[in-house]
Amino acid sequence: MPVPNPNLIQKRIGVLKTVAWFMILWLALAYAWVQLWKGREMERLALAQAVKTRTTPAPRGIIFDRNGNKLVDNRRALYLVIQYEDLPKDPAQIEALAQALQTDPDQLRRRVVAIRQAAGNRMLVLQDNLDDSALARAEVLRARFPFLSIEVAPRRVYLGEDLAGHALGYVGEVTPQEMAQAPGRYQLGEIIGRTGFESSRNDQLKGVDGQRRILVDYLGREVATYGQQEAQPGRSVYLTLDSGLQTVMKDAFGATSGAGVVLDLRDGGILALYSNPSYDPNIFLNRLTQEQVKDYWDNPDRPMLNRVTQGRYPPGSTFKLLVAIAALEKGIITPATTFTCRGHQEFYGRDFRCDAAHGTLNLVEAIAKSCDIYFYELGARLDVDDIYNAAKKYGLVEDTGVDLPHEVMSRVPSREWKRRVKKEKWYAGETISVAIGQGANAITPISLARFYAMIATKGKLLNPHLLYGVRPDNGGDIDLYQPPPPRDTGLDPKIWATLDEGLYQVVHSGTARSSAIPGLDICGKTGTSQVVAFVDKAHYASLAKRFRDNALFCGYAPRDNPQIAFCVVAANAGFGADSAAPIVRQLCQYWFIDRIKKPIPPPSAKLPDAFRLDNQPGDEDQPQ
Amino acid sequence: MRERLRFLDTRLLLPMLILLVMGTLTVYSAGRGTAQSTLWLKQTLWNVLGFLLLIAVAAANTPRIFRTALPLYILGLASLAAVLAAGHRIGGAQRWLVLGHLTWQPSELMKWVTLLFVAHRLGSRPIQEVSARDLAEAAALVLFPMLLVLKQPDLGMAISFLPILVLIPLLKGLKAKWAALGLVAFSLLGVVSWRILLKPYQKQRILTFLEPGADLQGKGYQINQSRIAIGSGGMFGQGFTSGSQTQLNFLPVKTTDFVFSVWAEERGFLGVLLALGLFGAVIARILDTARVAKTSSESYFCVGAAGIIALHLFVNVGMVVGLLPNKGIVLPFFSAGGSSTLSYFLGLGAVMAVGYRAKMK
Repeated sequence: MPVPNPNLIQKRIGVLKTVAWFMILWLALAYAWVQLWKGREMERLALAQAVKTRTTPAPRGIIFDRNGNKLVDNRRALYLVIQYEDLPKDPAQIEALAQALQTDPDQLRRRVVAIRQAAGNRMLVLQDNLDDSALARAEVLRARFPFLSIEVAPRRVYLGEDLAGHALGYVGEVTPQEMAQAPGRYQLGEIIGRTGFESSRNDQLKGVDGQRRILVDYLGREVATYGQQEAQPGRSVYLTLDSGLQTVMKDAFGATSGAGVVLDLRDGGILALYSNPSYDPNIFLNRLTQEQVKDYWDNPDRPMLNRVTQGRYPPGSTFKLLVAIAALEKGIITPATTFTCRGHQEFYGRDFRCDAAHGTLNLVEAIAKSCDIYFYELGARLDVDDIYNAAKKYGLVEDTGVDLPHEVMSRVPSREWKRRVKKEKWYAGETISVAIGQGANAITPISLARFYAMIATKGKLLNPHLLYGVRPDNGGDIDLYQPPPPRDTGLDPKIWATLDEGLYQVVHSGTARSSAIPGLDICGKTGTSQVVAFVDKAHYASLAKRFRDNALFCGYAPRDNPQIAFCVVAANAGFGADSAAPIVRQLCQYWFIDRIKKPIPPPSAKLPDAFRLDNQPGDEDQPQ
Repeated sequence: MRERLRFLDTRLLLPMLILLVMGTLTVYSAGRGTAQSTLWLKQTLWNVLGFLLLIAVAAANTPRIFRTALPLYILGLASLAAVLAAGHRIGGAQRWLVLGHLTWQPSELMKWVTLLFVAHRLGSRPIQEVSARDLAEAAALVLFPMLLVLKQPDLGMAISFLPILVLIPLLKGLKAKWAALGLVAFSLLGVVSWRILLKPYQKQRILTFLEPGADLQGKGYQINQSRIAIGSGGMFGQGFTSGSQTQLNFLPVKTTDFVFSVWAEERGFLGVLLALGLFGAVIARILDTARVAKTSSESYFCVGAAGIIALHLFVNVGMVVGLLPNKGIVLPFFSAGGSSTLSYFLGLGAVMAVGYRAKMK
């Protein structure tokens, strides 16, 4: 067997050994560089990808009616989001994501940039309220775009659906415009009330978002919680609404469009407020489909309009009470003054008609029978500014102060108004129409209701409001809302007595006899008027004239000790006594009689929502 | 007992056993809370089985060992062919034979068999200097299985055949000019490989190595996460089972290719120095054995064994820290896997047999 060449082999093995040790030294140097020199930086990178800060959205306050029946609740919902630190930087990625989500890439890019610049650790919500199939699609997307995540967050549920849509409003993400209008007030991506009570009392309802520092694994799944600042839920709020009365109102309107409001005469609390067509606020929590946009926003029936506070109607004969006050205060007539109605009469060279030849009547009879001729006579003797000044004095042309956004102010014409708006002088003949509530008169149902509440309270102008009270954070007794004290108009008691008698006779023996309830003295005034200023004129011009008449009924009950005041407008529904008064009759029937015997149960959630906020889904199925 | 096991070389066995314990603990830490949580137990079983094989081989006579080289080489080629024909495919590569519940990677053992056979062949001839016949034979014997492995494809494994081809002729007395010629030829082969032989993913890995920041979510992602893991180990480490990169799964393939990153993260630079020192001790001891070997074949085998271990060490440990391109190659004594574990035990058993024979005479 050959023997190795000792010298060569020994030498070369020695070299190899040296080479091996040098290689190991090189490795050691490389590790020293990464672990000792760059160690801090690497540790920071490791922490940055493993420890994340998450915002815990605070649930908004729950909304109850005055009896503690839940109207608005929160549910646990799933959202497809991009967490702040995962926001994509690559424009191509945003483009691809927008394509996958079928949204506008420019808009998505703007939202991504806005959230990154806000640096508030907010997430970008791409889709909300994922149901089973949307969740499956979201998971598929997540495989393609690993920066997406699915988060659980509270979501509003409006239990009554369209029961009180306009009163409650709905919530949505704050818009860039709103943020620009009130700098520093909102955080980007914040959920705020968009309209209705949700908007006007947003500050009470919204909570304080919490923050969590969590440890995530390589897929962004939460592994452990480092520390957290709990979200503070918004405070529970009680409304003055009575859900039973609200239900009666909704059912009474049926398919008739219009508006109705019932005020509590003790403090001006709104017991019921309904605008028909109504809407289900739940719909507006999601991105609307094109069809829904058409149905709600581009609908000539204007379902998004809150007719109670934003719809201005010619008040018709309900306005006659104000004209009576103006005439009595000016001393043109006394309650005993009579005029004779022959069915028609000429004023300023034009023939004006009445419903019937009422004969000779005094003021109470004129109110009860709603005689136009009597009030034309007053119109002929009054200046338009007399009427306007009375309207001003008795609160008809001011903001009612109701806690709903975007209230529209009522209008009673005056010389100054015509000069300013129409650039014309006032003609005395126009006052004739104004005296029976036509002409340029345009009054919102809420201010009419407040005016009749003023009569009911012998001259007090109440502040209509929806806020009943707020439950303090510690869960103690409800902090009751104290509305501002009512303003005393100084209505002469003698004048009041005449008006009260007239309004009583309307239901007792006058135009609304058929709506009387035995044992309950309702005081009210019917009204019928034409022309609707806020709906699409082209749409209505094609309809027969009688469909364009609005029926009104305003008043209070019971006569001896008034509890409630009301105003109901049934649009395009003909004569006031035929359509609006029966609605009021049903309201009074429920409020004074049925409510005590068999109250209507509160709305319950019919929504197929598997996620409850306080429990994990399926908890109740677990055996104990 | 001690007398009966005196063929076991403690100066080789001790660092090796320490490395094995370190490796198995690292596999335990890396597997925690994942589907591989019991992998360390399996690895311990492989280690015990390997140790028994080591005892058997170390006790054997070296001529007897070399006599098995030819049949084993033929069997090895056959099994590599079987892998290509009917192998088990994982992630686009066909590297495994399935035997019941076990998957076996023939290329691991084939490396050692090729080394044994080449050492045997070249050592059987007189040494003056390396003849053309020697070179041709070595090249043929190494390149044939190497190409079969490359076809699987398994670039990392194919590269670990190279020490055999380089070191044995060098030891036999290859002149410097021939070595230079070989280098040129190898570079040429490299160019050809890049153009024709390499798969797109292999090219991608090399490109990623050249520009690590470019593709953080793809191939470069693994190296990047590995560097973060190693770096956050600092001087003393995050502590056993406490490395965030490991435990939160940011670190990829952490029980095999990137197992050393786990060690570096949890044990720090001091742990790295300890491991490198022990590897150095193993390699040095094998080279010392080569020096005292009684025959050329024995000497060549030992140098080749040191070369294979050094190459794996350098490529794997260098790769996870970003010194070298990301290619799948295991770290001896650390990475989990039955085929490679048993192969190293067998190879080192043969080294011990060489050492014992030298001591005896």
